[in-house]
Amino acid sequence: MNDSSIEEVRPVLQARDVSVQFGGVKALTDVSLFVRPGEICGLIGPNGAGKSTFLNAATRLVNYATGSIMLDGQPLEGVETRDMIGRGVARTFQNLGIYASMTVLENVMLGAHHRLGGSFAKAIFAPLRARALERSNREKAMAVLEEVGMANLAARAAGSLAYPLQKRMEIARALAAEPKILLLDEPAGGLTHGEVHEFGALVDGIRRRRNLSILLIEHHMGLVMSLCDRIVVFHLGRNLAEGTPAEIKSNDAVIAAYLGKAA
Amino acid sequence: MRDLSLSTAIKLSLFAIVAASISVFAPAYALQQVAIAIAYAIAILGLNLLMGYAGQICLAQGTLFGVGAYVTAILNATYGVSPLATLPVAAAVSAAVGLLIGLPALRLQGLQLAIVTFGIAAAFPQLLLKLGSLTGGVSGLPVDAPETPGFMTDVPELWLYLIALACAGIGALLVSRVLFGDAGRALRAQRDNPQIAQALGVNLTRTRLWAFATSSALAGLGGGVFAIVSGFISPESFLAILSINIVIGSIVGGVTSMAGAFVGGLFMVFVPSWASDINLSLGNLIYGLALILIMMVARNGITGFIEKWISMIFRRAAG
Ligand SMILES: Nc1ncnc2c1ncn2[C@@H]1O[C@H](COP(=O)(O)OP(=O)(O)OP(=O)(O)O)[C@@H](O)[C@H]1O
Ligand SMILES: [Mg+2]
Repeated sequence: MNDSSIEEVRPVLQARDVSVQFGGVKALTDVSLFVRPGEICGLIGPNGAGKSTFLNAATRLVNYATGSIMLDGQPLEGVETRDMIGRGVARTFQNLGIYASMTVLENVMLGAHHRLGGSFAKAIFAPLRARALERSNREKAMAVLEEVGMANLAARAAGSLAYPLQKRMEIARALAAEPKILLLDEPAGGLTHGEVHEFGALVDGIRRRRNLSILLIEHHMGLVMSLCDRIVVFHLGRNLAEGTPAEIKSNDAVIAAYLGKAA
Repeated sequence: MRDLSLSTAIKLSLFAIVAASISVFAPAYALQQVAIAIAYAIAILGLNLLMGYAGQICLAQGTLFGVGAYVTAILNATYGVSPLATLPVAAAVSAAVGLLIGLPALRLQGLQLAIVTFGIAAAFPQLLLKLGSLTGGVSGLPVDAPETPGFMTDVPELWLYLIALACAGIGALLVSRVLFGDAGRALRAQRDNPQIAQALGVNLTRTRLWAFATSSALAGLGGGVFAIVSGFISPESFLAILSINIVIGSIVGGVTSMAGAFVGGLFMVFVPSWASDINLSLGNLIYGLALILIMMVARNGITGFIEKWISMIFRRAAG
């Protein structure tokens, strides 16, 4: 609908009443969530709340039984998993989705695969064009590695990096896809307290330079509170709360959910 | 990156030196044997792409090799096409057959796919006999020797060797075009983790089918070269065991190595006969022990083993 008021910007990602079921387990029940353009939206909740499952639904790695997810106003139903990245949705994985035997540069170059297409025919019958594309892809990937401060590691095998660097490389790969929205699943995993601060500055810089929308799943509360414009809380597969960091910090239901988990 | 092109240049020069010395020093009969080894090497190049990079098993590579050989022989013997002109057709027909074989690969896992493809390999020789009017049945088909350039008429085997070498060069060029670029990364990505590959936009179906088609085209090209170099083919040359031997050649040479394909081809032709030369009655025993020994010592094949040693020596030398 184009007749909505001018102030109300259309969300990049909008999920309404999404439910996901694994056999008898209801991982998500009628959850809703939206991410506005240029916004960092936090997604938090105790372990098993369904955060990663939501990311999987939004990238069509799992099917949702009911509800709808819209990207730029277009419904995702019927879109193939492999076409999501081309539509501007890039992600990282909670348990790393990297290729350990490939170099860091190769991993990052894979981010642009959806634009290059990996055509055998082109590689075999138009080698000069394929090589030119490969060269420009490599330069772009190097620029992204520069941006995340990993250019010096380009030739290293990804599997030989420390865990936090592997996570950072995965972000670089997602950036190489030149997405509209970035979905990050616990990107700060393995960082020490001091490093988390620097990492927050990196993510914020990326968002500003690229005018990206980011959905950030993170357990590190300091990072979430300082980085996010808005926070959505899931609990036991349902929406629990939504608001600014200040609102979430003082929300009794959220505090109870986290304390209940701890007890 | 410069290191990479340097090591490629070194490998290519080494290869050129070896290839040239063979042509100078090997006797005519051995030259023909080497040409046959190169024909197998072309099929192994394809299988390395499929097995090593795409992670798909195919126990029908010998059948696709046979299809290529028969396309060349039929076009030449029945329709009078000049032998070299048949080679692109042999590659194309095998690619089409390989695509058909690749279709079940989209649904089946490794072990089931192995059995399905081996079923094809087992059926092929009898199919050739049944289609006797086309294939010449048990008596096989002759293939004309390609016209030898004037200055080489004394040693036509040298010309055959050079033809095989040129075809292998074309095959290696095609494979390297696929492997060293986006297509190659996508191949490895879907092999190592299909789900993540999909999230990165890799079309698993298309990538796997292309891998089967490319691998099969090379098998067909190798088969065509085999027919030309042999001068005669019959179903006996394409028994099911050939597919197993090609897989062995691929693994022994090094399944992700282009040079390994040539090592594998030479292994297929020469090692079994050397084993019987050592002791006629114990040939299979010696051959079997050699296989076991190689796999114990060189898990990544002979080229992997050599590369490991060379890089170790270089590292020592560097300090
Ligand atoms: N593939 C699957 N098959 C079966 N159950 C699953 C699957 N994936 C997730 N679940 C279940 O769905 C629920 C939500 O899991 P999910 O991983 O989305 O939680 P999360 O909020 O990401 O938790 P964490 O903070 O620990 O990462 C859990 O009960 C989990 O066991
Ligand atoms: Mg999770």
